[in-house]
Amino acid sequence: MQSDDEILERIRGTLVQLFQLKAADITPAARLYEDLEIDSIDVVDLMDEVQRHTGRKVTPEDFRSVHTVGDLVAVMRRLLHQ
Amino acid sequence: MAAHSDFAPEVSPVERRRDAYVWRLLMTGASFVLFGIGAAVFGVVLLPLVRIIPASREHKRARARTVMRRGLRLFVGFMHRMGVLTYEFRGRERLGRPGQLVLANHPSLIDVVFLLAFVPGAGCVVKAGLWRNPLTRSAVTLAEFIRNDSTGDMIVSAAAALHDGQPLIFFPEGTRTRPRQPLAFHRSGANIALRAAASVTPVYIRVAPTTLTKAEPWHRIPARRPHFTLVVGEDVDLQACRGVPLPLASRDLNERLQALFEAELERPA
Repeated sequence: MQSDDEILERIRGTLVQLFQLKAADITPAARLYEDLEIDSIDVVDLMDEVQRHTGRKVTPEDFRSVHTVGDLVAVMRRLLHQ
Repeated sequence: MAAHSDFAPEVSPVERRRDAYVWRLLMTGASFVLFGIGAAVFGVVLLPLVRIIPASREHKRARARTVMRRGLRLFVGFMHRMGVLTYEFRGRERLGRPGQLVLANHPSLIDVVFLLAFVPGAGCVVKAGLWRNPLTRSAVTLAEFIRNDSTGDMIVSAAAALHDGQPLIFFPEGTRTRPRQPLAFHRSGANIALRAAASVTPVYIRVAPTTLTKAEPWHRIPARRPHFTLVVGEDVDLQACRGVPLPLASRDLNERLQALFEAELERPA
């Protein structure tokens, strides 16, 4: 079982690698669209990564309520604990 | 006289109406009516037959697409024979390969009619409104076209169709070109290409003079008879994008595609 901090760390690594973001900008409160400039197409690429990390099938539906990095952590936690 | 008009400035306020203007106006109207009647016949008779005759979902989809392609081919033939437009389609034998993503610019309302009439077996990403329009709803449903209203669902469905081996038609502009504006490609086309396409083939569409653009009602037809030129380009090489994370690779590819279309469309057909 992973703590939220560990999940956040993984997300940070993924976002840095995929989108060339600065690790320091990736805080739980950071908004994907407005702060990190991740758009709806990027989100699909991000879904693939989440799927790879969790081994669970991820659908656009799972991501509808994701607005911040913190929401992403919550989705990952839910998928990992399913 | 003819030589003179060739050199006339494009901004001449009123171009003289020619090429049987009134006839073309009537036949343009008739084409819209015929499309409506045709869609109704397909929706009420042919597509229900496809639905009823026992077959797997894949077979029904293939039949629906074939029926639609033949119908639209007749429709293109009607517009051509009635003098509404002239057209040429170069290299179309290279369209319709399994898993092929066909990317086209979108200068006029009927680009999609041409592509669907000439690309065998293809699916198409189309606007979600077609699922709400009673004339087109059963066709797009049975042919399993893909709706563009949610980016995430669209990318996932388009990639699945290509992985399944279907050819897929996609307009990266998302909507008709705004006349006299630079091309603006939506990155989802590049993203779908990198995810799932076996090959990516551009189709460059030119319409001269422009007609049925986003800015015009149907009855504002051009002074001259419009000529459609559809040219199938070389497949796009995706090797350079491999091994790069998708968000970056799709941005690069999108810019490359946009530059490719801009360069090609600037040249005379």
